[in-house]
Amino acid sequence: MKNKIGVYVCMCGSNISDYVDVDKVKEAAEKIDGVYVAKTTMFACADSTQQEIENDIKEQKLDAIVVASCSPKLHLDTFRNVAQRGGLNPYNYVQVNIREQGSWAHSDNPPLATEKAINLVKGGIERVKHSKELIPIKIPSINAVAVVGAGIAGMRAALELAEMGTTVHLIEREHFVGGRTSQWNVLFTTNETGQEVVTRLYHQINTHPKITLYTGTEIIGKKGSVGEFNLTLKIKPRYIKPDCKHDIKDLEKAIAVCPIEVDDEFNFNITKRKAIYKNYCSEFPEIPAIDCEACNKCGECVKICADIDLNQQPEEVNISVGAIQLSTGFNPYEPTKGEFGFGEIDNVITLQQFKRLIELNEDALIYNNKTIKNIAYIYCVGSRQIDGPNKYCSRYCCTSAIHTAILAKEKYSEINNFHFNRGIRTYGKQEKLYHEASEAGDIFLQSFEEAPPQVERAGNETIVKINDILTDNEELEVNADLVVLVTGMVPRDYEGIVNILKVPIGRDKFFNEIHPKLRPVETVIDGVLISGACQAPLNITESVKSALSAASKVNSLVSSGEIKLEPTMAVIHNDKCTWCDKCTEACPYDAISKIKYKDKEVAEVSKSLCKGCGMCLPVCPENAIDLIGYTDIEMESMIEALIY
Amino acid sequence: MENTDNPKILVFSTEKISDPAIDMAGLLKKHYPATVYTVNVPCSSAIKSKWILHAFDKGFDGVFIAADGTDCSFSDTCSDKTSKIVANTHELMKEKNIDPAKLKMAAICSVCAEAFVKHMKSFHKFLSESKGN
Amino acid sequence: MSKTEEYDVLVIGGGISGEEAALNLADQGYKVLIVEKDLSVGGKMIHLSKVFPTLDCSACITTPKVSETARHPNITIYTYSEVSNIDKKSEYDFRALLTKHPRYVIEDACTGCQLCEEACPVTVQDQYQYDLVGRKAVYVPFSIANPRVAAIDIENCSLCGACEKVCPADCIDFTQEEEEIQIKVKSVVIATGFKLFDPTLIPRYGFGVFKNVVTSMQMERQLVPTRPYNNVLRPKDGKVPDNIAYVLCAGSRDETVGNPICSQVCCMYSIKQAQLLMGALPMADVTIYYLHIRSFGKGFNEFYQQSKDMGVTFIKGKIGKIEETENGDLKLRYEDIESGVVKEANHDMAVLSVGILANDGVSSMFNNKLELDQYNFVEQKDILANPAQTNMSGVYVAGTASGPMDIPDSILSAGAASAETSGYLRGGYDEK
Repeated sequence: MKNKIGVYVCMCGSNISDYVDVDKVKEAAEKIDGVYVAKTTMFACADSTQQEIENDIKEQKLDAIVVASCSPKLHLDTFRNVAQRGGLNPYNYVQVNIREQGSWAHSDNPPLATEKAINLVKGGIERVKHSKELIPIKIPSINAVAVVGAGIAGMRAALELAEMGTTVHLIEREHFVGGRTSQWNVLFTTNETGQEVVTRLYHQINTHPKITLYTGTEIIGKKGSVGEFNLTLKIKPRYIKPDCKHDIKDLEKAIAVCPIEVDDEFNFNITKRKAIYKNYCSEFPEIPAIDCEACNKCGECVKICADIDLNQQPEEVNISVGAIQLSTGFNPYEPTKGEFGFGEIDNVITLQQFKRLIELNEDALIYNNKTIKNIAYIYCVGSRQIDGPNKYCSRYCCTSAIHTAILAKEKYSEINNFHFNRGIRTYGKQEKLYHEASEAGDIFLQSFEEAPPQVERAGNETIVKINDILTDNEELEVNADLVVLVTGMVPRDYEGIVNILKVPIGRDKFFNEIHPKLRPVETVIDGVLISGACQAPLNITESVKSALSAASKVNSLVSSGEIKLEPTMAVIHNDKCTWCDKCTEACPYDAISKIKYKDKEVAEVSKSLCKGCGMCLPVCPENAIDLIGYTDIEMESMIEALIY
Repeated sequence: MENTDNPKILVFSTEKISDPAIDMAGLLKKHYPATVYTVNVPCSSAIKSKWILHAFDKGFDGVFIAADGTDCSFSDTCSDKTSKIVANTHELMKEKNIDPAKLKMAAICSVCAEAFVKHMKSFHKFLSESKGN
Repeated sequence: MSKTEEYDVLVIGGGISGEEAALNLADQGYKVLIVEKDLSVGGKMIHLSKVFPTLDCSACITTPKVSETARHPNITIYTYSEVSNIDKKSEYDFRALLTKHPRYVIEDACTGCQLCEEACPVTVQDQYQYDLVGRKAVYVPFSIANPRVAAIDIENCSLCGACEKVCPADCIDFTQEEEEIQIKVKSVVIATGFKLFDPTLIPRYGFGVFKNVVTSMQMERQLVPTRPYNNVLRPKDGKVPDNIAYVLCAGSRDETVGNPICSQVCCMYSIKQAQLLMGALPMADVTIYYLHIRSFGKGFNEFYQQSKDMGVTFIKGKIGKIEETENGDLKLRYEDIESGVVKEANHDMAVLSVGILANDGVSSMFNNKLELDQYNFVEQKDILANPAQTNMSGVYVAGTASGPMDIPDSILSAGAASAETSGYLRGGYDEK
């Protein structure tokens, strides 16, 4: 048992000391048996305090330390390192949370907050008294990663990871790569098209020896954990022979004869495509695909093109990787029927549809056989909702809408743009687009958040009305030939991957990071990282930054071939164990097996398989299992200390 | 020194799921009774009945398991397993003449700060009333 | 000029971006040199109070990163130092000159006991408290500075020698001189950060004339745990303010002061300060005068809504002029955009939400071979696919050196810079 314990009570500037009487806490700690040093400190995490604790450990020969400060989620490792530098085992350290679960939670009642802090510190001291010296477990890691989603973020991450020496499995659900970026034409700020950017990346990916690209592929199973995830992939048939010499003419003829027409999702359903299709002419991989859900296998195409094989079957492939980087992207928000006339009035479309429309209409802007002159853009559709669930701002849409409006005006004559907005958010350098649009004569009308514009059908005309706060709240009307709903981002449908990987979801339904500043691309699931617009609405540059950040973290994690894990794992007390098999049933990792011990059979826990969940503990009828770091003596003495 | 009428609650939270929510309650200054004490475990299916009974034995008036529920990163069987622990412990509590209502469980997701505070307030109220009787 | 030191990467700037980039690269095994022109690392972030949208304490997030950087075996830090003459000889061969300014204190010997501060008879304005209070001519920069070591501000020092007499470690050394070091590195990360807009350039706001007109950074310092007055006070008379105005876009989105772009952070930090003020001064009214509220990042719009629910008043209006009344209160004249008329409002304190501008001297470090954009930020040559790439291969940009951005974005940008640098160092240059 430890009996030269150092206790440090942090004021956290004033975050703790404004509500908790830290001197009282220190005094109470001093009186406890085994406590040798007790101090208060302005910032326990400051370098100078860390140095002080380190010196105390060395000079006063402390055998354990307790820091009462913020949540261990922030600084557990910081102080474990201090302990280690002082010469202690890092696990002879306990952090007591008197900020998030003390001063802040009970700022309404300082005396009780102080009492609680005292008891929590007592609990921490009892726990540290019984702490054992532990050595982190090292497990081997495969220097390979699965990057899920081959949009801009996934492609860019794959390339960087491969260049850093990590083997990459790039997994794309669609038959073609490029994600949303390939659907956009001219991009802000470089005037490159989305397809050009995708092409540039594809060529590097395609020739990189360390990258394997899987298209039409989804993850359907996962075993293992960080260091070695074994993933099962399901590859949809493309119905084109892999050794296809792709005689373009034959394939084009095959597309021509296909009798099936379905909505073209690439163009956000404003056009139709065949069951055998390519989204655009230089799309990658360069061979077409057959949409197996739409195809009725009539065989017309097979008669023309020898490269088509309708007998292909779905394939399953197993891969092993050390980590998984998700970049599954976003979907445009789908307006509900009747939301600003969507689905009811025929000239109401979304921004994404409008972007495709501009690309498809070369000379004149025509929609539903009508030449478009007046365009009304309605902002924040599906974002910043007052009643709906999406409280967040989708970040990219103001800039995207203005940029698209400028492009439309440049491309076609006599376009009038009317922007019905709720406060334009062209942050940073994007501001210059807003200027440009205003100078080009675009009209900006702003409504209150609570009073969005109205879209009405009057005879053959579509009228957009707004109470414009820029002109003294006067009601203004625009007779619009086309209404463009500036729809925001929602996460791309991800149920499958969430169920398999258990990725945490935030309040906004996007994937959630551990901490936006400290660990912005990591999730609570070890070895599963997130990047790009699956985490939050982001534009292309921002997605790429996040993808590269995550790639950097993934590489540091898996490239050394070894991952350090917490030594928290189950141990069997052989004397008590009677091998009833209940623990093996409870273990989700198949980490428990039967061995011989003296003259009986007992359970044994595999060090590399046990994840320290503790599910085997309560099922043991003999109480023969302890979890390291959570042993009966640690738990019970701590619980006891909390009450006295 | 202590107000003996103010019920003390022991909360078992889980490091990756429910404890972040309890932290968040503090971060957002959402107040709950200061006699609520939280002890961390890796997973709510790791809690031994023995620990719970120990808490009652030493004077806690209520025990609350802030369970992982379906968010558990270890196994999708977690909800069932935690429920089983609660059911078993309820039986043991009856044997010791402890009102089973003093052990409660609810799934608290990693952003369920508000739900946690609500649970604490109502559980604290319930325990105060039963203590008064 | 004697020695040449060699490293894999030179990181210019020891703020949050520089540290994040350095740590990523050092973790991958590269030897990194951080050069920081200030006396201590941690940049602007270490001076902030709580940060949006999670309201974490900024010091609590920065200090461990600072510590980790300072302790990392692969990282060397030179504080109070500047780089110049960065010359690219060929790919993977950059030569530069590093100038270490004298602190007049022996860095390794100083314990940061601050006895010298007590003895020093000279008091000047404290730049780390944004001139709200004074400091001595010999001083430890601030309480959580790293290194926590004193320095002598030689321009203001009277050379009386009082500090020398009291120093228990005998580390005051007036004989120190500027030191020059030649360095050779394979690549460079620019993380030089930003500077704040100087509000005296808008005389109609009265900053510098009316004492109760302060900058947002001065307000920030009044809200941090290590704040100078341990309360929020207005500078003129020490009264606790109860009706505070925020003037957004001070020096941003304003062609007349040469900065047409949006600074991206002012809306959010003002909303954050408003929330903190409502907590610190429950009786106070806070009004934010804005053009557009730009709460665009993850959790930002929710944070904005929360401030409205807390009772912060938002007025869409452009401030024309600020005047002082007899008791030090302020009269703000503004165009109320909703009603289209010019109105006046009285407040007892006004906070100018100053914008962020490109730092000076970045291109000149590279003998002007580094391209800047029209706003003097480092030009990103391939912003869509390689956002950290500059016009010089092997030179990457991290954080606000490339444009205004908030802390989470800066950290991601630094992550991107480290990944691109690492790719370059592994020979990726040939393929790109």
